[in-house]
Amino acid sequence: MSNDILQNITRIAEIIINTLKLEDVTPQTFDADLDLVDEVGIDSMDLATIALVLRDEYGIRIDEDDYPKLTTVRRIAEYIHTKLTSGK
Amino acid sequence: MATEYKFSEIIANPAIKERWDKVRRYFFLRESTYDMTNRCNIRCEGCYYFTGEKQGAAETKSPEAWKRLLEEEKARGITFVVLAGAEPSLVPELCAACHEVIPLGAIASNGLKPLPREIEYRIHLSVWGNDRTSLAIRKAPDMLVRQVENYQGDPRAIFVYTFTPVNIEEAREVTELLARQGLQITFNMFSAPVGYGGPLRHTAATLARTAQVMTELLAEYPETVVFSPYNILAHTRPQGLHALFSCSYPRMNQSTDIGLGRSFRQYRTDLRWDRDAACCVPDTDCDDCRHYAAGSAVVTARMYRHATDPTTFSAWLDYVDTYLAVWVKGYKKGTNLCATPVIPSSNQ
Repeated sequence: MSNDILQNITRIAEIIINTLKLEDVTPQTFDADLDLVDEVGIDSMDLATIALVLRDEYGIRIDEDDYPKLTTVRRIAEYIHTKLTSGK
Repeated sequence: MATEYKFSEIIANPAIKERWDKVRRYFFLRESTYDMTNRCNIRCEGCYYFTGEKQGAAETKSPEAWKRLLEEEKARGITFVVLAGAEPSLVPELCAACHEVIPLGAIASNGLKPLPREIEYRIHLSVWGNDRTSLAIRKAPDMLVRQVENYQGDPRAIFVYTFTPVNIEEAREVTELLARQGLQITFNMFSAPVGYGGPLRHTAATLARTAQVMTELLAEYPETVVFSPYNILAHTRPQGLHALFSCSYPRMNQSTDIGLGRSFRQYRTDLRWDRDAACCVPDTDCDDCRHYAAGSAVVTARMYRHATDPTTFSAWLDYVDTYLAVWVKGYKKGTNLCATPVIPSSNQ
């Protein structure tokens, strides 16, 4: 896995923690493979809010149809990496 | 070239930030809907309930059975219930059982039989024109008079005026009457049931005229009319809600990963549900759907595409603020932020 993705994982975890005001977890302890829907309990509006903050952070557009793919921090990091490297 | 805004720049505007913080507190709402009885005390032309197979489902008359279902619903994350079909006020004991388990919700009623005050859900009272037109379409005399008598001074009540091609001009008379009584009204669009061939289906001309009348009434009765300029535009376009926003209810959305496609169910009176039929107004022709209940979920869910600039995001916030004021008892709508016409950004 590239360093870019690993760095993004920590930053994305931080964004999710801050956006959702999660307690008892830090960017370093956030399990990147935790299912955000089933195990964290986020819904589509939470994910849309996170997507907007990620858009600001990385300058990428996240298609609404892609939300179902963004179910873990690792998948989000890989999605962002793909977007950035493909120039979309 | 249009300016590209960051989301952080959009919500840096104090008025937008305040409204954003206000509405996002309600993002925890997750709805499902429930047909409570297959009986109604009137029979309206174009009624969605008496279309399709759901009217043949057996009734569940036991409050304990409803409580068990609602406990299961709560356990799977449902926080808001909509009790509808055919006429929930005929089974108040079942509505009360639901309220005991999940305290947030709304009831769609024709208002001819008052619901007990201890059921503290929002109550949507359907209006299809003045009493002359109601008599013709709904075959019931003095509907508005009786609805007002039953719900005068009741903070649960909001009247839902369904615009059809034949009652557009009567909306003024109804709004004036409700304004005098200190009651609230919001607007709905007749959306044809599947196979409907009657005269109530909207045309381009009636959509345009409806938009004009809605705009006038919103300007003249801002304390009475719970609506926004963006609501008007979103619900009176030639395209229906699905074409504009991609309906996210299971009936039109195969994804079960997140959102309504994952959590929404529409239960029939036998406490069963069918994913292929599940939406807020089953048996509506999806191409013609401009229903207020559909928009409340479908437009609201499309936050990302509205976060392009302060004006468009303000229009979306007005829509969400309206939705919450219509559906959540005690939620107070703020002044609309956006008077600029924002054309809904349709699906790419």
